[in-house]
Amino acid sequence: MEKENEIVKKLKNFLKENLVRTTVPKERRIFVYIKKDALKDAVKYLVKDLEFKHLSTITGVDLGGKIEVIYHMAYKGSIVLSIRLTVSEKNPSVPTITDLIPGAVLYEREVHDLFGVNFEGHPDLSPLVLPEGWPQGVYPLRKEHKLEHLREMTSKK
Amino acid sequence: MELDHAAVEKEVCKEMTEEIIVSMLKILVFPGALFLFALAFFYEWVDRKFFARVQNRYGPLHTGLHGILQPIADFFKLLSKEDITPHSSDKLMFFLTPIFYFALPLTTLFVIPILGQTSLIAFEGDLIFVIFAFTLIIITVFLAGWSSMNRFGTIGSMRAVLQMLSYEIPMGLVTTGPAIAASSLSISEIVKWQSPPNFWLILLQPLGFAVFTICLLAELQLVPFDIPEAETEIVAGWRTEFTGRKLALLRLGRDLELVLASALITSLYLGGSQQFWLIPPIVIFLVKTTFAVMLLSLLRAVFARFRIDQMLSGMWKYLLPLAALQIILIQLGLGG
Amino acid sequence: MSYGSTIKVPLGPQHPALKEPGNFLFEVDGETVVDVKPRIGYNHRGVEKAFELRTYIQNIYLAERICGICSDAHTTCYTQAIEELLGVEAPPRARYIRVIIAELERIQSHALWVGIAAHEIGFDTLFMYVWRDRETVLDLFEMISGNRIHYAMNTIGGVRRDIHAAMVPKIKKGLDFLEKRLKYYLDVVQTEQTILKRAAGVGVLKPKDAVDLCALGPTLRASGINNDVRADDPYAAYDEVPFNVITHDGCDVSSRMLVRCEEMLESIKAIGYALDHMPEGVIRVRVPMKVPKGEVVSRVEAPRGELIHYAKSNGTTKPERYKVRSPTLGNIPALCKMLLGGYVADIPIVLAGIDPCFSCMDRMAFVDVKKNKGWNWTMQQLRRKYAKK
Repeated sequence: MEKENEIVKKLKNFLKENLVRTTVPKERRIFVYIKKDALKDAVKYLVKDLEFKHLSTITGVDLGGKIEVIYHMAYKGSIVLSIRLTVSEKNPSVPTITDLIPGAVLYEREVHDLFGVNFEGHPDLSPLVLPEGWPQGVYPLRKEHKLEHLREMTSKK
Repeated sequence: MELDHAAVEKEVCKEMTEEIIVSMLKILVFPGALFLFALAFFYEWVDRKFFARVQNRYGPLHTGLHGILQPIADFFKLLSKEDITPHSSDKLMFFLTPIFYFALPLTTLFVIPILGQTSLIAFEGDLIFVIFAFTLIIITVFLAGWSSMNRFGTIGSMRAVLQMLSYEIPMGLVTTGPAIAASSLSISEIVKWQSPPNFWLILLQPLGFAVFTICLLAELQLVPFDIPEAETEIVAGWRTEFTGRKLALLRLGRDLELVLASALITSLYLGGSQQFWLIPPIVIFLVKTTFAVMLLSLLRAVFARFRIDQMLSGMWKYLLPLAALQIILIQLGLGG
Repeated sequence: MSYGSTIKVPLGPQHPALKEPGNFLFEVDGETVVDVKPRIGYNHRGVEKAFELRTYIQNIYLAERICGICSDAHTTCYTQAIEELLGVEAPPRARYIRVIIAELERIQSHALWVGIAAHEIGFDTLFMYVWRDRETVLDLFEMISGNRIHYAMNTIGGVRRDIHAAMVPKIKKGLDFLEKRLKYYLDVVQTEQTILKRAAGVGVLKPKDAVDLCALGPTLRASGINNDVRADDPYAAYDEVPFNVITHDGCDVSSRMLVRCEEMLESIKAIGYALDHMPEGVIRVRVPMKVPKGEVVSRVEAPRGELIHYAKSNGTTKPERYKVRSPTLGNIPALCKMLLGGYVADIPIVLAGIDPCFSCMDRMAFVDVKKNKGWNWTMQQLRRKYAKK
């Protein structure tokens, strides 16, 4: 747990009030909640100084009225730091991290497709998993869309 | 004495019609077209069975004894399938190329001696005719892929032509080897020359035999040279758009090419159709050709496919000098 | 070889080089690839949404069917996540059995891959031989679990079936046979000239690119990076079973072949050790149906690379959110980098080099809840199906 605590301390020092909450539930797992504006600085610090070079994936969660975006990053493959922020459902917009981690391109596209989160500065936000002709503005993984409703909508096409 | 013109004329007419009927039978049935079709189907079976056994599989098994009727079954199945012509293809070429592709090897087979030591049609220079026919076949392949107006067909055609430009020269060069030995450009003469007291040309010109077999692999588009129809890269290459009857003719054409290739190997290097004790020449010919088919199958099974640039460089850097070396050796007196 | 203008060649969704549908639009100049645009989603089945509609037990079977070849990796990851949310730990014997099944699956998946790779370069004979030998593993699976794929061994709290003492000698015999054959294939892959000509120096991915583009699994390890979830973030019994992480420095397709072949040999050793040292005891513990509120990140080293699940529970019997990211998606950016500047003839072997599993990769479209079936998604198919009603 030493290394995990060390990482948490360094992040606290760097982000100061932008770091809202941290939890270390067990070894090799850290959960961090930050404010949206600190995302790019936090990711840059993690990649360059703390050597969290690997991005495992980006998860979107519909919290009802808000959408949470979680970035799962790994330190030398072993410690997983899940760094999260929330955006409002009405205007979900997050700066892209593809300039820091090129491998994030497809993960951001997937979250954009399924939750409607807009990643500012992403080179190409075209649909990744949804088919051509999918109606605009319908983001399937949001809780508002029930299965029957989605099915009805596509059968009308 | 008066010559009975009418009676003589009748005699002559009768003889002529008899001759014509016999020739027609020879060309169409035996050892002509029908016999060659049967051979083509038989050798396709040999090839598939041998290839399968090398890979630890069964191959064709149920149709007929040990699956021997499978190629015929496949042919008839294809004839019964829908024949689709793509909308934007060059309809005339698209229609004609399968016909040419199957007719060319068939006609070329007439110059190979099968029944005896003379072929159906023998003339001085028929060896050159065979080489020319190979070129025509590749031009047909090119036109087939090009006229289908399909991306994969286009790439396949381009690759086929590139391949032809590479193996044509070594092949032409080595085939002059047997010609020089027999002092003749007729395949029938070359076969006659290989009977005792002379040896089979494979023993006198082994390098030429190896080069010739490799060039034939490239001509038949078999692995490692099946680049024009590489399934995993460009679907079926130049053959992508052909269906139904046209595909049946293409398959038959490929089988006839296989017969042609192995018959050539047999005639030029293995002594061809010769009498051996009391066994008739045609049986000897079939045995030797079957061996040639199995050799080509074996080579097909043990290699992976080359990339086109590797094929080009291999042909020009290695095969061509080896072919030239063989000719030089012959001129120096080693090899007939 | 340049012909002037470029041609756009589509690869997929239906193509002999792809075992599953995926679309890559290549722009080629003669025989050189100039640009590549990937388009996935043809096997998108709505699994993440479906997870939210089913109970935790039902979701084990859904997780298994995300993929046919790495089904056990998904269930291991899933059951680990839920066990962590519940605060229970699988008993020691269950953890060893999980290791054995996972390693057997790795052997089966890599053997399948070697056959496919051989087929892509036109070497059908090797393909037939390897797949014949792969049958040994599938027969072992049938003996242990009753099924050749989708073995349904994992459950929340442990495993469902035991590996009895009577099975152990048969497993060892199968593994000995496999080891001999694998050593032969390793030799073939390293020395056969026609394979080397097609695989060496092809699909190069430099170590820096591999890290930047977040590559995973054998693709990453073939570029010399020593990352393996089994060693870095041990789960099941991997902290007790010794094994080596295989890396190679070649950065090309032939290195990936070597990594996978040697990994298979390592798996055989690991299984042998696990069989010899399996502790006695129960194979599962009972768990409650309702899962307390919480969230967890679970990772597993699937045959294709790092598999990560994120689970969030809300105190009921159904998950609040379940996220699956399978390794193939993580390798696509690296794949695009590898393909640029290469030959058209190399596309299938480079594509096969990352061991793509598009079923794992796409995961959200429609699921017929009544029939519990998912299908490929094209608008025409969907239209046709519902027009019948």
